Amino acid sequence: MGTQVLQELIKKIFSDEESRTQFIANPDSVLSKFPLTEDEKKAVLTTHGRLGLVTSGSAQLEAAIEPMLWWNAPTP
Amino acid sequence: MWREGLAKLLREEIEALLALLSNTAGLYDMVKEPLSKVRGDSVSDTAQGRAWFFLPLMVCEAICGRYEHALPAAAGLALLKAAAEVFDDIEDADSTESLSSRYGPAQAINAGSALLILAERAFTRLNDRGVDSHIVVRVIDVVNSYYTTACAGQHLDLSLIPAEAVSEDVYLKVIAMKSASAVACACYTGALLAKANQELIDLFTMFGHNLGMASQIANDIKGVTQLTDIVKRKITLPAIYALAQTDGETHSLLDTVFCKRASEFAPVPAQIRELLFRSGAIQYATIKMELYQQQALDNLIEAERDGVKVDQLKPLLE
Repeated sequence: MGTQVLQELIKKIFSDEESRTQFIANPDSVLSKFPLTEDEKKAVLTTHGRLGLVTSGSAQLEAAIEPMLWWNAPTP
Repeated sequence: MWREGLAKLLREEIEALLALLSNTAGLYDMVKEPLSKVRGDSVSDTAQGRAWFFLPLMVCEAICGRYEHALPAAAGLALLKAAAEVFDDIEDADSTESLSSRYGPAQAINAGSALLILAERAFTRLNDRGVDSHIVVRVIDVVNSYYTTACAGQHLDLSLIPAEAVSEDVYLKVIAMKSASAVACACYTGALLAKANQELIDLFTMFGHNLGMASQIANDIKGVTQLTDIVKRKITLPAIYALAQTDGETHSLLDTVFCKRASEFAPVPAQIRELLFRSGAIQYATIKMELYQQQALDNLIEAERDGVKVDQLKPLLE
C-alpha cells in the first residue's frame, strides 16, 4: 500500500478548500490526479460514501469501526 | 443460535480445564476473573460471538463442516488471552481493578502463569477429541511461534523512542506482530484442524492477518474519539498521519504532545482530538482500516472459489 500518495491525497482534501469542494462534488476527478492503486481508490470511495469527510465524531463513524473492534487481540 | 451454542461449548471446555484448580479456591477465583473479561461473559457478547478466539471454530467449520474437535484450541487461545491480560495489567500498572493492584504482583504473576500452563494443557486435549498427535504437535508449535512473535512485537513497542514510533512502517510492523499475529494464529489453527491443504491454510492466515490489522486500526480510531490514547500520549496511526502532514502551530502542538511529551505542558485532550479530525487523520485511518477489511473479504472470496463455505464469516466483516 502506497502510504505517501494516500497521505498526500487526504492532506490535499483537508487543507485545500477548492480540492475539498471538488472531491465532494466529483471524487473521481480528484482521485485521478493521484497515482493510487485500485484498492486504495476503492477504499477512499467506500469510506467517503459511508461517512463523507470525517471531521468530528459521529454515530456513523462508531458504526463503521464497531464490527472490527470485536476482533481486536492485543497481546502483552 | 449457532454462536450461542458455540459460546456454551467453549465455556464448558474451559470449566473442565479449570477443574484442576478447584481445590485451591483463591487461585481458581483469580484465574476466572480475566477469563470472564476475555470471554465477554454477558449474554449479549457471547450471542454475537464476534471474538477472535472463536475463529479456530469458525474457520474449521467453514472448511470441513465440523468444529467440535477444535474446541480445545479455542479454549487454549482464550486462556492465553486471559494470561496476556494479567501480564499486560502488571506492565501498564494503570488499573485499580487489575489482579496485580488488588492482590499484588506476586499473586498476579502466579495466576498469569497458571493460565499459560492451562493453555498448554488445553491444546493437548485436542488428542482426546480424536485429533491426530502429529496435528496436535503442529498446533502447539504454531501457537508458540505466533506468540513468540507477539512478545517480540511487544518488546519492540516498549523499546521504541518517539522519533522511531512516528514511522508508519514501524507502526504497521508492530501491530502486525503484537496484535494481528494472534488473529492470524487463530485462523491458521482452525484451518490446520480442518486438515486443509497448505494453500488454504496460508489463505486463512492472511485473512486473519488482514482482520487483525483492520481491528487494531479501528481500536486506534476509538482511542482518539474516546480520548484514551490522547490522554496517554500514545502514538498510533492517526497521530502518525497528523505529525507527517501538518505544519506550523498545529504540528508544533502535536509534536509537543506526542513526541516531546513535555510534562510541563498539559494539553486539553479534546483540543488535540479536534486537531486530529481536522487534519484528516481519522479519515486516513478509516481508509486504511477499510483497505485491510477489503483484503480480508477478498481472502474469503478466494476461499469460496475453492469450495469453502464462508457464509458465517463474511457478515462479520460488515
